[in-house]
Amino acid sequence: MLSISGITLLAKRNKKAGCGFLILLVFVIIALFADAITDHKPSKRVARPHQAPSAEHIMGTTRMGRDVYTQFVHGTQTSLAVGFSAGLIIMALGTVLGISAGYFGGKVDDFISFLTNIALVIPQLPLLLVLAAFIGQSSPTTIALIIGFTSWAWGARVTRAQTLALTRKEFIQSAELGGESRLRIIFVELMPNLASIIGANFIGSILYTVITQATIEFLGLGDPLSISWGTMLYNAQTTSAMHVGAWWEIVVPAAAIAILGMALALLNFAIDEVSNPKLRTFSGLRVFNKRVALIEYEKALGVQGANS
Amino acid sequence: MRFVTRRLFFYVIAFFFAATFNFLLPRMMPGDPITAMFVSQGNPLSQETIEALKITFGFVNGPLHLQYLAYLKSVFTWDLGYSVQYYPLTVNEVLNRSILWTLFLVGVSSLISFSIGSIAGIYAAWNRGGVFDTLFSPLSLVLQSMPAVIISLLFLFTFAVSLDWLPTGYAYNIDLDPGWNFTYLSSVAEHAIMPIFTLVIVQVGGYLITIRNNMINLLGEDYIVMARAKGLSEMRVMLNYGARNAMLPSVTTFAMTIGVVLGGSLITEYVFNYPGLGNTLYQAIVNRDYPVIQGQLLIMTLAMLTMNFLADVAYVYLDPRLRNA
Repeated sequence: MLSISGITLLAKRNKKAGCGFLILLVFVIIALFADAITDHKPSKRVARPHQAPSAEHIMGTTRMGRDVYTQFVHGTQTSLAVGFSAGLIIMALGTVLGISAGYFGGKVDDFISFLTNIALVIPQLPLLLVLAAFIGQSSPTTIALIIGFTSWAWGARVTRAQTLALTRKEFIQSAELGGESRLRIIFVELMPNLASIIGANFIGSILYTVITQATIEFLGLGDPLSISWGTMLYNAQTTSAMHVGAWWEIVVPAAAIAILGMALALLNFAIDEVSNPKLRTFSGLRVFNKRVALIEYEKALGVQGANS
Repeated sequence: MRFVTRRLFFYVIAFFFAATFNFLLPRMMPGDPITAMFVSQGNPLSQETIEALKITFGFVNGPLHLQYLAYLKSVFTWDLGYSVQYYPLTVNEVLNRSILWTLFLVGVSSLISFSIGSIAGIYAAWNRGGVFDTLFSPLSLVLQSMPAVIISLLFLFTFAVSLDWLPTGYAYNIDLDPGWNFTYLSSVAEHAIMPIFTLVIVQVGGYLITIRNNMINLLGEDYIVMARAKGLSEMRVMLNYGARNAMLPSVTTFAMTIGVVLGGSLITEYVFNYPGLGNTLYQAIVNRDYPVIQGQLLIMTLAMLTMNFLADVAYVYLDPRLRNA
């Protein structure tokens, strides 16, 4: 698994990763210390409606006279929580299903692959919208659950393909011949080598979840009383903030989603580069430095010299 | 050909599963959506009226398996009943009104994205580490991570509301009569600019990255070295030897993206009040128009299955190794 030291090393050696990681860190800090950096509840009316950004309200106020900055901070908390929890569900399901299908093969593989392929050809977003609407005013928790349990297919497919490729390599076969238990092979031999795929799946899923949650809520299918980036957009839209020129009400949540998306995309790009050295762009002496970095990084990950 | 038949068989089964899921969805939800739909119309209705309405809109009473059989029959004969919201229009009529607009948005934006993404990806891979690659490859990933909601809202705010360069919504100027004349067509084009560009931004990065990464993986192959050694021009090696093979996985991407594009189109149509399938679905969801929702989900599934099947066929055509598989 991607350990903390692995991530920091990756961040240190790869500029894109460093950049993405830093931005993500800022959002996490905002979310963790939401109560400390705001001084009232996000739903409290504190000023006249639609005040432009000023020293007192640095991101302006909404139609209801609520402080956009406070809403943004608490929205960060909700959006990240939903993103991380759905991301975890997707990663767990994708990894378990993918490894089972790829490693056990046979009937297990047939069954899981069939499920995966079906899930892949069903249109995601329309289905999620219909689900959210049928459940009615879905709370952030509900949204996290429905996204988590409907979006695992892509991760499962990629993990399965990689597991299949690894299973054919000598080091797995020698482990099998050496009589290692299947559990040990999965956790000690396979998992470390799947780290980059699992990590990419996790990060991609967080991104997907944050975007999808915002979309569901923007369309008014979420719980209008919860505070998140999506409901901020929804409220801005329903109070026609755009047409009265209250751009800050739209731009703040939009920028938050865009910047978080950018950070996660950069992290994923970096993971791709580290796991597939061909994709990296070398020049001159940096080749050597990066090779060293890669070896250190792999040591940190506990990779068992299987990247041949 | 066995490959194609096998895939076709799979898609039929997949459609069957999707249709079944579609049937179970409203029935799994808490409460009785069928009654809720009519009661929420306002005035209380007598039991007979509700029964009559249920029959009109194709809801069959009785045990689940009989309902299911009736449902399957309606799906496979594509007789989806009446729309609740637009009664007396049938579901088919409602879908027919909007499907062309969505096809237009999705088709044009996919073609643009595929062309731009592929050319830029090939170029970036060929000159990897160059200015273009360092700048545009990460940028395209960042663009790809921008949700359609954000892009369309920012477009709407900037170009329609603030600058007033482009119309804020709908597919054409409603004062015009649809017809094959210049005024109408230019109005359609003007109204389509922002939705199409939103969808291009959502897709283009995916194509660029796929083809760039494939191409880079290919560049070390023997046949590329061979082509170079033969003294072929750079252009020829890049296009005929590199790009041609790197394009292959993009065909799959093309089919896979259709789901993303349909989703993106849904939200874009909503923001720009564009009369396509997505907007119709949204209106149906808000108004609890179950027959239309079901028809929408079916038609979107069908679109995805068709695209995937076409991609499979294209794959067989492009990759000779699959022909005997």
